[in-house]
Amino acid sequence: MFDRIRAFHRPTSVAQALRMFEAERRRGGRGRWVAGGTDLVVQRDRTLRWLVDLTRLPLGYVRRVRSGFVIGATTRMADIEHSKPLHGFADGILPEAASTCGSQQIRNMATIGGNLANASPACDLAPPLLALDASVVIAGRGGRRTLGLDRFFRGVNRTALNGGLLVEIVVPAPPQAATTTWSCQKLGRLQSDIAVVNAAAGVALDARGYCTWARIALGAVAPTPLRARGAEALLVGRRFDRAAVEAAAEEAAAGVKPVTDVRGTAEYRRAMCRVLVARALEECARRAGRSL
Amino acid sequence: MSEILVHVTVNGEVREWRAQPGDLLLDVLRREGYWGVKRGCETGECGACAVLLDGEPVNSCLMFAAQADGRELLTIEGVAEGEKLHPLQEAFLDHGAVQCGYCTPAMVLCAKALLERSPQPTEAEVREALSGVLCRCTGYKKPVEAILAAGEAAAKPRGKAARSGRAAR
Repeated sequence: MFDRIRAFHRPTSVAQALRMFEAERRRGGRGRWVAGGTDLVVQRDRTLRWLVDLTRLPLGYVRRVRSGFVIGATTRMADIEHSKPLHGFADGILPEAASTCGSQQIRNMATIGGNLANASPACDLAPPLLALDASVVIAGRGGRRTLGLDRFFRGVNRTALNGGLLVEIVVPAPPQAATTTWSCQKLGRLQSDIAVVNAAAGVALDARGYCTWARIALGAVAPTPLRARGAEALLVGRRFDRAAVEAAAEEAAAGVKPVTDVRGTAEYRRAMCRVLVARALEECARRAGRSL
Repeated sequence: MSEILVHVTVNGEVREWRAQPGDLLLDVLRREGYWGVKRGCETGECGACAVLLDGEPVNSCLMFAAQADGRELLTIEGVAEGEKLHPLQEAFLDHGAVQCGYCTPAMVLCAKALLERSPQPTEAEVREALSGVLCRCTGYKKPVEAILAAGEAAAKPRGKAARSGRAAR
């Protein structure tokens, strides 16, 4: 399958990885970063001539920073799934989403960085990370830059990386953490399948049941995972009741551009987008101890 | 095309493989004679090629051989001790949990990893541990019973292994 690959580099530091990547790029021929391989190998790109492996870099970690987290790019899905501190953060939506990323064997290989850098519209971790206002740290020749995840995805399998290396994911403390509840939803034939539609939401409610802050993020309904900003705006400042949930779900579904493929039709995806957003918001209310 | 050297421990034995930079772990394992590692879908879906990498199941069809350098692999060939089968293998036989046998090595390895982190798993845990291994004979019930029985048997080392009827709880 990959018999034309002439070099497989195994750096042990980010600086060395960047040097190797740059040297190969100057030499010519197509090449890529590889970590878990669970997307790259399946894509069977026979034009690849070299690979720079990331699995020996010291980027497998989940660290609490102030009230948020930083997660190393080669942290595996299984590590996120079983991270105790992440279970206690944002109602555990990151471990929950990671636990649906393929089978156990896949989750023992696939990394958070690979999941994002592959930029599948159905990326399992994108909706919860977008809802959490996450950023990515990209290392390149000119040093490091931080980019909001909402500006990272540029199209199907396209990102803002441009040869740079995704090294870390930064998850900030939610602004109203004490009063915010979260939910993560995924629709597939099985939970471990590629999502037909996925969604995540975070909602802050005040003592009177008014919404003071909202995030809604969607996957598999557009070329990239995306925030449903219109739906978020509808919720903020409003009483969080059944009518508000339904209005936000309608608004989210109206704003997406799904495609028809083997997993579902565009029409079905739009309908399920509405259903998943409503379910996510209902779960947020439940977790806040409120009935709609 | 420069050959690479891969230093790896397979089933407790130190090995040095000569491989091409783009070789997948599945291909090298089979070339080296570990035929219990099965070639199935080659897209990471069926799990027939699963091996334990430092004790955890991974699909060898999705991993480059070079990435195994410095790591420890366990294939089905290393599960028995000589002629003495592993209790899980005995349990699979006792429960008739083997049909065509193609997915069996992967099922036994996934079960072994499970029992090591959770010696007496629940049925839900067993089913989750097997969920990445597809059986075309549709025989999940007996493997689940076999694994539960192996867990119970290990919990009472003096008693005889719990047999079929009680094994499924």
